[in-house]
Amino acid sequence: MKKWYNVVAISMVAVIVLGIFAIACAQKPAEPQATGPITINIGEPVALSGSAAPWGQIPTPFREAWFEVFNKEGFKIGDQTYNIKLIQVDDQNTAEGGAAAAKQLIFGDNCKFLAGHWTWNFSAIASVTNPAKVIFVTRTGAPDALPASWNGAYDAKTMPYVVFGTPSQDEFTYNCFALVDAFPNYKKLGLLDSTVSKGGPGWVVLQDVLNKAGVRWHSEWFTPGTTDFAPIITRFAEEDCDIVFVAGWIGEYMAFAKQRWEMGYKDMKVACSGPFVSLGMYKAVVGADAFEGAIGAYYDNSQFKKTEVNPKYIAQCQEALTIAAEKTGKPYEYTGEIAWLPSHVLILVQAMQKAGTVDDTDAIMKAIRGGTFDTTIGKWTMSGAETYGSPVVFGTPACLCVIQDGKEVYLSEHPMEPLP
Amino acid sequence: MPPAGIWVDGLVQSCIYMTMAFGMVLVFSILGILNWAHGQFYMLGAFVVYYAITAAGIPFPISLLVSGVVVGGLGMLVEKFVIERLTAPGYGMLYVTVATLALIFFFEGAAGMAFGLMDKGLATVLPGVLDVGSFSVSYQKIAVVIFTLVIMVIMYVVLNRTKVGLAIRAAAQEPVAASLYGISVGRVSLIVMGIGCALAAMAGGIMGPVHSVNPFMGRIPMIMSLLAIIIGGLGSLTGAIVGGIILGLLNSVIAYKISYFSEVVLFVLVILVLLIRPQGLFGAPAK
Amino acid sequence: MMLGRYYIDYKSVLPKVVAGVLVVLLAVFPVITTNMITLSIFISSGIWAIAVMGFTLVLRTGQFSMGQAAFMAIGGYVAAILTVKLGIPFWPSFLAAGVVSGLIALAIGVIVLSAGGIYFSIITIAFGEIVRIVALNWEAATRGASGILTLPPPPITIGNFEINFATSVVPYYYFMFLLVIMAGLVFWQIDRTRIGGTFRSVAANPMLSEHLGVHLMKYRVIAFTVAGVFTGLAGAYYVNFLSVITPLMFDLWKSIQIMMMSIVGGISSIVGGSIVGALVLYTLGNYLARLPIFNIQYLLFGAAVVLVVLFLPKGTGLVDLWGKFWHKVFREPEEYEMPEEADMAVE
Repeated sequence: MKKWYNVVAISMVAVIVLGIFAIACAQKPAEPQATGPITINIGEPVALSGSAAPWGQIPTPFREAWFEVFNKEGFKIGDQTYNIKLIQVDDQNTAEGGAAAAKQLIFGDNCKFLAGHWTWNFSAIASVTNPAKVIFVTRTGAPDALPASWNGAYDAKTMPYVVFGTPSQDEFTYNCFALVDAFPNYKKLGLLDSTVSKGGPGWVVLQDVLNKAGVRWHSEWFTPGTTDFAPIITRFAEEDCDIVFVAGWIGEYMAFAKQRWEMGYKDMKVACSGPFVSLGMYKAVVGADAFEGAIGAYYDNSQFKKTEVNPKYIAQCQEALTIAAEKTGKPYEYTGEIAWLPSHVLILVQAMQKAGTVDDTDAIMKAIRGGTFDTTIGKWTMSGAETYGSPVVFGTPACLCVIQDGKEVYLSEHPMEPLP
Repeated sequence: MPPAGIWVDGLVQSCIYMTMAFGMVLVFSILGILNWAHGQFYMLGAFVVYYAITAAGIPFPISLLVSGVVVGGLGMLVEKFVIERLTAPGYGMLYVTVATLALIFFFEGAAGMAFGLMDKGLATVLPGVLDVGSFSVSYQKIAVVIFTLVIMVIMYVVLNRTKVGLAIRAAAQEPVAASLYGISVGRVSLIVMGIGCALAAMAGGIMGPVHSVNPFMGRIPMIMSLLAIIIGGLGSLTGAIVGGIILGLLNSVIAYKISYFSEVVLFVLVILVLLIRPQGLFGAPAK
Repeated sequence: MMLGRYYIDYKSVLPKVVAGVLVVLLAVFPVITTNMITLSIFISSGIWAIAVMGFTLVLRTGQFSMGQAAFMAIGGYVAAILTVKLGIPFWPSFLAAGVVSGLIALAIGVIVLSAGGIYFSIITIAFGEIVRIVALNWEAATRGASGILTLPPPPITIGNFEINFATSVVPYYYFMFLLVIMAGLVFWQIDRTRIGGTFRSVAANPMLSEHLGVHLMKYRVIAFTVAGVFTGLAGAYYVNFLSVITPLMFDLWKSIQIMMMSIVGGISSIVGGSIVGALVLYTLGNYLARLPIFNIQYLLFGAAVVLVVLFLPKGTGLVDLWGKFWHKVFREPEEYEMPEEADMAVE
């Protein structure tokens, strides 16, 4: 009997050792040069496993579809057409995972660009991309993805190859204004965020801006992993908050919405700082009647009222949505991705065209700084020189939807300006 | 004085921690080990109930029983093939601890792969809210409390009035003497593991509709039931119940008063208990 | 075998020679492959190996510490705060990180090791969680969730030769190599001397050892403190390698992984077992994360550990397969494999 155990153990070790050497010797062969379109690799470190994974996996059908549509035409520099290949690597939403994913994409897959990033490992990835002169398009709003003036980790001098393609921080602030626009007779706005962001740079500026604009608000904090929001709901109710804006992950938003309904606070409106990932899931978890009237972020560019979007991109996105629906076999509801990776990619592509190169990242960054770009969410100028120390911040319309009859309906929009 | 809603909430939490702690203590008193994967059976029970209701249309109370049986059976398999091998004399606690910890990853990964990572909801099970004066309680939460009472009564009856219960108690107190009387400690271990895991599974099943069902939902209940056992005393069933009540109410009230620091307070409390009175409230004094 | 006038006991020499060759290969590894990813994996494995050595040493005294990752966090934050906020150069900060970790381990050990057994383990869990929560909330010192960004150590010039940490990963590799060797020597030495022997007796039978006049607590505390020092150093170095430290990097699940690396590697050998365990499990975890089937890494990782624990005989780990391998290679022809029944009878 003992011999058999040893055989199993030794064979397991052999497999693992062989695996190690396989990784050690693995080198990706160079892409063969063709006379047709040249493919550019763009990498995306994204959470594909672990608790943040749903947000990483849900956009996949749309994302793939969008690149299909994009690559039909591709983009041209001079006479040469280029296509884009998206390579995703799981970063597990951790610092180490991020560093490993970035290394894999840069050294294993030869990506010169990383885009569409939103997980909470900005610093770890930036410390890999900057020495390697790889352009990293991410979002603001994670605790460290903010400028040093706001106590964040971004420093324009030491991170010259970072681009903030989606300013979640600013978006959150302007969503507050959008809420107030939608409900002018509100009593008080409740703000709920996780303790991980508490006292962080974003909140300091947010409070400042809200106070200056005369918005009445009250904030509460929850520990990550909380499933029971009764104490917090009670406190919001005591403070007379009739709209609560929840900056949490999906699970926390759903728990809050459901529990406030069950506790009897049916008039308390609940807004989510992200887009609705899958309406069916929310209805199942929160309850269809509790979910009526819920508010969330909204990116369907065909519905924007105050932001003008290039009709070409609206058509592209609609086509991608249709293809995605065909792929999944049911209507595809998630529009959040329109504001993320496609928008990031269009910034990169237009910068490459302006700079006339797909390799020289210095020239491309120069073209990005302060430039104006036309993307799936409108035409925006890279602003942010004052706050961020470098004009590498893009804009997003702060647009909200409300659930009516179980469907998303446009609610309100507040134009964004760079935060002071 | 926190409002009534907070106390009700604390009571519901207490019920779950109590049930989980009870299962863990049962397993501990016979097998001598802490099953670190206990929370995973909670999670699996919730998934079984979810699929029973949505895919097979089985009514909720029967789904609970089904999940208890299925996951209890799974627990017995784990006991037979993993735990039993690693608790043979001479192995010490190390291997079984590592194995049950590794099982946490295994079950989370398996559930993630099999069921997907999106939260699944069961809000339709017992919809509706009961309005009691100044606050409301959902029927689901009332069901949790009733369920726990029923389970505790059943456990009392089984342990004190049936032969199986007698065998369990005997094996817990004096394993050697019990085996002399013909009680197979191995068989009892299997049964106890089954009961413990079934309790965890049904706790998960009854709580599923309250929040949502996802592969990671078992982590926090496991840590909480561990804390409850420490406060109540390892190896003491009464301790598990009392510990669960204290922990649930404390968690809710402290969260209301100082929200995000409730974690720290609980951990510090546990450290103090372990330093001052390691056997907890009801445990046997340390050797 | 006879080599001229000298008798060389090839059975004891050959395994050591092969081991030596492997060590030399590791030493020149960055020359063999310049693949960034592989080098990073080896660097990280080496750092975790040091933490695992600490855990195994504490295990020798009979205690399971489930909070070792907390010492990595402490070491990491001390080094980061000293270099970034106070401007102290890297190397003194690095050593200070080890010292502070060690002192905290000493303080905790003295208070808590008296509890012993499972109570100690649970307190280490609570300790780990408290460190994480403090790191998250004590913003003045740790900048909370934003974490602290660290810079590579400044280049070291030796003669005409410059060791530049900022431009390449290779200096990190060599320093890690040195660190692992140093730690390995320290731990191995402790194991060989009387302290090691005393530890084994303490673990095997605490009561008897107490009767024999061995002061239990003293040895437990020594082990825990030494482990704390080296784990703190490992944490400080790791944080510098990744350029960032956040409160979420060293949590309970990392402590659990340290435990697994120790067991899988083999607790009988502090140095070899730790290195093997860390290398195998870290590489496995990394490799699995690259697979396109999501979440399979948790499943396979958990399954691999359970299988190893189940199927390797008690007290051994992967590192013991090394001994078995040579034993089989050197089997004398007369050493016939006994039939199955006799095998079982011997058990």
